[in-house]
Amino acid sequence: MPGREVSSLESGESLEKFLAEVQGRALGIAQLATRDRDEALDLVQDAMIRLARRYGNKPAEEWRPLFYKILKNRIRDWQRRSIVRSRVMSWLPGSREEEPEDRIAQAPDLASPQPDEANRLSGAMEALAEGLQQLPQRQREAFTLRTLEGLDVAETAKAMGCSTGSVKTHYSRAVHRLRELLGEHWS
Amino acid sequence: MNDNDFENEAKQVFDEHVAGLDAQTRSRLTQARYAAIEASRPRRAYAPWIGGAVAAGTVAALVVINPLNDEVTGPALDTPVAQQATDLEMLLGDDELEMLEELEFYAWLDEADVELDGIG
Repeated sequence: MPGREVSSLESGESLEKFLAEVQGRALGIAQLATRDRDEALDLVQDAMIRLARRYGNKPAEEWRPLFYKILKNRIRDWQRRSIVRSRVMSWLPGSREEEPEDRIAQAPDLASPQPDEANRLSGAMEALAEGLQQLPQRQREAFTLRTLEGLDVAETAKAMGCSTGSVKTHYSRAVHRLRELLGEHWS
Repeated sequence: MNDNDFENEAKQVFDEHVAGLDAQTRSRLTQARYAAIEASRPRRAYAPWIGGAVAAGTVAALVVINPLNDEVTGPALDTPVAQQATDLEMLLGDDELEMLEELEFYAWLDEADVELDGIG
């Protein structure tokens, strides 16, 4: 039916718009958790595909908490797998092969920040990632979703699968602990 | 620095990081987005030509597989292909029902042929 096709097309367009809006921040969050750009990209792509497949037909206003819930779960799975992998690798010394250098990937990108600024930013992000790693998981998720992604308390609660009261508690503790860890002038 | 200042600082660092993504990363994100949109498109549940394709495939499989069986039992005609052409003609012809009714007789005849071939 033509009407149905138009509706499906419109839904695809709005889903693409939504994904374009969240992709950069989603990657940033995944990168803070994995500290590896390629792994982070894989996680974001996986979360996008899962959202599109399973919830693409849901109302658009539900996508944001659903997407971050999926991404949060993918990050948790990745972290569990990483722990197992590092245990296994520790039993097999020298089994990891050096990957060949990718000269194209290392070429300077003119759109990126200048070296000094990039270094400052990179240092600040690294410190933030380090601080977040030291937080309990629920605090880390609350801070990431509330401050970095900009979800409100209700959306964060939906994404984390807990009450709004729990979100407020986790978030408050996360901010205090991070301030202690990063100091007054970390950025 | 109070909690609000710290939150704003963290947000600013993160926003700058996101805004400074390099071209290669942005390109990979675009690819990821397209892959997701492609995955969300509904798959066609049924295509009418599938039934015809299955029937044609079955006939083709009979033509290909049965000569191998004939090689084991010994073909009655000169070549396996000629044998299959005859079989197909029989299956698709008017005498099909009649042949099915007399299937037991043909099975016996087939076994008798094998025995005679073995003697000869």
